Amino acid sequence: MIISVEKIYDTLPIVRFTNTYKVTYSDSTVKFVPLDEANTDYQAIQEWIADGGTVIDNPPE
Amino acid sequence: MALSKVDLENQVENILPETLGGTGASQFPAQFRNIIINGDMSIAQRGTSTASITTTGYYTCDRWQFQMGTMGTWTQSQSTDVPSGQGFATSLKIDCTTADASPAVGDYLIITSRFEGQNLQYIKKGTASATSLTLSFWVKSTKTGTFVVQLYDSDNTRSISKSYTVNVSNTWEKKTITFAGDTTGTLDNDNAGSMQINFWLGAGTDYTSGTLQTTWGSSVTTDSAVGQVNVADSTSNDFYLTGVQLEAGTTASDFEFLPYDVNLQRCRRYYQNYEYTGGTVVSMGNSISSTQAVAGFDFNLPMRSAPTVTLPATGRSSGNINFLTSASGYASTDGTIIAQYINKDCFRFQGTGYTGLTGESVSWLYPVATTNILLDAEL
Repeated sequence: MIISVEKIYDTLPIVRFTNTYKVTYSDSTVKFVPLDEANTDYQAIQEWIADGGTVIDNPPE
Repeated sequence: MALSKVDLENQVENILPETLGGTGASQFPAQFRNIIINGDMSIAQRGTSTASITTTGYYTCDRWQFQMGTMGTWTQSQSTDVPSGQGFATSLKIDCTTADASPAVGDYLIITSRFEGQNLQYIKKGTASATSLTLSFWVKSTKTGTFVVQLYDSDNTRSISKSYTVNVSNTWEKKTITFAGDTTGTLDNDNAGSMQINFWLGAGTDYTSGTLQTTWGSSVTTDSAVGQVNVADSTSNDFYLTGVQLEAGTTASDFEFLPYDVNLQRCRRYYQNYEYTGGTVVSMGNSISSTQAVAGFDFNLPMRSAPTVTLPATGRSSGNINFLTSASGYASTDGTIIAQYINKDCFRFQGTGYTGLTGESVSWLYPVATTNILLDAEL
């Protein structure tokens, strides 16, 4: 079960979103999920968002 | 000679000249005719045994998903218990360790394999020329009685179910089932899942209260698994499956054995497990500064789609990975390594939060003893 989803940013050479989510699950595993509609974990994230989940978005300064 | 094991019957049937009712050309592939990948259960990249299973997932044999909705606890393994004299070396075994003799209405227990639509265009589903599909497999089950196997078209929400009988407890039996072609609902020609085969092992009344849907039609949940026995009703129950073949046509040919390396390569389109041991190099990277480093990671086979990446923890303990200084030492303080820019061919490591890396220098991404990087692009 998904506990949290966080956008991964690149700081090299400029700050930009890397099209990757860092996802933490209830069994404490951490996975890196690409924003690819064919990826089943990404599909699960979309369902999680539809059910009220909020993606953490903290772009570096 | 082994060539006699090739599907000569279907090949001859399929190349009949038009004057004899054929098409004059082969309609179906003679090689790789088995739609199912890893039907002999020979590949198990995730491991050969997993205990205490209570949720849906891929656990041992590649391409085979164990779907479960609150129905007991299980150990799944790649077993060497196989039908005698058939050439198989492995089977998929599930062993009930906590029973559920009275499943709730919405419970289910299924072994599933999924197929990409672009690999199924030749069955011409959704056209007047749609071909039949024939399933053959070996099964051994403690529980006897009626079992259900279902083809499910996820592009069009259509399905067909057929039942078979396990006659004798704990004895290998071969089953053959033919599904008619479906003239409705074309399959998408892409890399997404279009169809799946479901071996039902137990179900609540949400799936069993109707009439078994034995012809193609819009999928009706209550008609999915009517009559299915409950394999979860006793901790004495085991269920084995191997030699699963789904092929175009109305006859079952001999199982199409593939070389191990070919089977592994086909499985690695969906899952890859890279194992590193101490002294090897995960990747040669670059420390941009004393606090950050990057490195690339190229897959040795393109994946179906951009995969989910699971990395070892960053650190100095067995099983960790870590960026090293240019002198191959640990930094003053370890940072955190993540994966980013993931696509079907590669991704990039980025380490941040370090102190004491050698700035603007080569940095070895080091595996501390044996560690694994896992890529998952399953359907």
